[in-house]
Amino acid sequence: MKVNDIFSYAFGAIRLRKLRAGLTILGVVIGIAAIVALLSISQGLQASISGQLESGFATDTLIVTAGGLGSGIDGGIGAPDTGFRLLVNDTTFINELSADIELWTAIIQRSSYIESGENTLITTINGVVFEEYSEIYSNTFVAESGTISSTPGNEEIVAGKRVSDPWENGTLFCSVNDNVNVIWPNAAVRPPQNETYTGNVTAILQEIGGFGIGPSDSSTYIPLSQAQSFFDTDECEMIIVKLSNSDQATIDDVSEIITNAFNGQVSVISSTAVLSIVSTIFSTIELFLAGIAGISLLVAGIGIMNIMIVSLMERTREIGILKALGTKSRTVLAIFLSEAMIVGLIGSAIGVVSGWALATVASGFLGGGFSGVAPPGAPVSGGIAVTPVLTPVLILGAMAFGLIISIIFALYPAWRASKLKPVDALRYE
Amino acid sequence: MKNTIVQTKNLQKTYMLGKVPVEALRGVNLKVEKGDFVAILGPSGSGKSTLMNLIGALDKPTNGKVIINGVDLSTLNDNQLADLRKSIGFVFQFFNLIPRFDAKGNVELPMTIPGLGRSERRKRAEKLLDDVGLKDRMNHTPAELSGGERQRVAIARALANNPSFLLMDEPTGNIDSKTANEIMELVEKLNKENGVTTIMITHDQQIAGRAKRMVKMLDGEIIKEIKQL
Repeated sequence: MKVNDIFSYAFGAIRLRKLRAGLTILGVVIGIAAIVALLSISQGLQASISGQLESGFATDTLIVTAGGLGSGIDGGIGAPDTGFRLLVNDTTFINELSADIELWTAIIQRSSYIESGENTLITTINGVVFEEYSEIYSNTFVAESGTISSTPGNEEIVAGKRVSDPWENGTLFCSVNDNVNVIWPNAAVRPPQNETYTGNVTAILQEIGGFGIGPSDSSTYIPLSQAQSFFDTDECEMIIVKLSNSDQATIDDVSEIITNAFNGQVSVISSTAVLSIVSTIFSTIELFLAGIAGISLLVAGIGIMNIMIVSLMERTREIGILKALGTKSRTVLAIFLSEAMIVGLIGSAIGVVSGWALATVASGFLGGGFSGVAPPGAPVSGGIAVTPVLTPVLILGAMAFGLIISIIFALYPAWRASKLKPVDALRYE
Repeated sequence: MKNTIVQTKNLQKTYMLGKVPVEALRGVNLKVEKGDFVAILGPSGSGKSTLMNLIGALDKPTNGKVIINGVDLSTLNDNQLADLRKSIGFVFQFFNLIPRFDAKGNVELPMTIPGLGRSERRKRAEKLLDDVGLKDRMNHTPAELSGGERQRVAIARALANNPSFLLMDEPTGNIDSKTANEIMELVEKLNKENGVTTIMITHDQQIAGRAKRMVKMLDGEIIKEIKQL
């Protein structure tokens, strides 16, 4: 038999049992759609998060924080807290460590309130040296209105976009030149009391979007010296180091030098390291999701096998006729496998399309969910807009997987059909 | 010189019915020449269907040989047997048509096996159906045809690949006597006018009487051969 005759014969047999074939195809559709939807969303999420990280986290910077990652002893995260704290003055110490260190700046961070008129907002106060910080984050620490002074007065405040406009409904919490009260609940004194000072908003940052380790929309920035005196501390939460280049070798080199200089009491995080961790996490998640979706496809495969065995019994006599007319065993095998292939192909094709549709609908909800402050239906801003990523590899991979599963589960019934003895098959009632 | 199409030599077949061996054929010697019309007559259980399965290469003998066109079937593998079956035109008691194909599709089916082109298949199927008197019923499915019409389709299908002989198993066993008569007229005509060698199995003495030769079987053996005029 010619290949097109085999396919047309197989197609005719499928068409005869439309409902049954439809249900079998549905099984494949669900499996493939699940795989495509889950993987395309997860890939979209990864692309989106990586993009946010890259924009919010310059690739030529290192972040030094107190507390080792414990990599020296057990390789795990969560080393015992030795009480080590970074000091603002440590910047001078870091400066001398390597010629590749171009710029460095300390950051003091506290969770605080700011009060404007009758409204109060929770924000993260960052004490930074405006000049150095804006040089390191030249793409994100940029004023939308007002100016970021390089020699700021103590009362100057730079507010993130979401601090100025937290509700996104036209009402602003604060604008340039507004006076706001910074309120810090000081828990170090007894009884705990609120420390307060009045600052003046001199700049609102342009919108950054998403999250990164650098500047953020929901943060407020004050001069480092003011933070030191207001929070009454010489300790800082992190030191940002800008390197002369973003070569992996330089990053690794300087990271090691800094870690060793602090005797393993600090963690040095680079953007590439974070990105690689994110990518590792997503690979694991994708594997897990693909596994779950794979199970549904496995169920579909068993459905195919079940249907084909029933169909084989029903068509035993037909197989006998075909063999009596001179059809070879391998042609009978080919006919049954073609039926599975047609089912697998139709199912996979519909599955890819519906999986894509599902991912697009679901990512709409996901994007809205992440934005937090945005009301439903509002344009997603400040959150993660997830666009499902449907790569040719995913499309072809899913199609191939659906096809292979269909064929594998049809192998046994098809083999049984091909092995039927013509005399027995013809006698079958 | 005569041309032997089918020959069996000491053909034996033993079935196991549970643990009891049943000898269905006990050494059958038969020779069918080109242009012959042989009726194998016998009651139920005489072994005539077993003989047909062996001659049709649908089953394998326990002992003895089946030789078709000079080829000993025992020397052939499954693929070669399948190829050989293309040269046999089977007609079954229960028609064995494919229900989802119309008459033309059923006649075309055997021609797809050697890989004949679509238009060639169609042309030949139409001619064969015309020959068996079904010119106007070509596009009807078996369910829309009467028993006699179905058997005509089956005969047309059997002739599709220009077989070296027709092998008919109770071709009139499932149709009324008037239609049976018409079918037999068709078979006789094919034999006489077209020289189609025919082996027909039947339990009906009257039907068997229309063949050129009658072979009577009982308990797995040939008990009598009658040449008829």
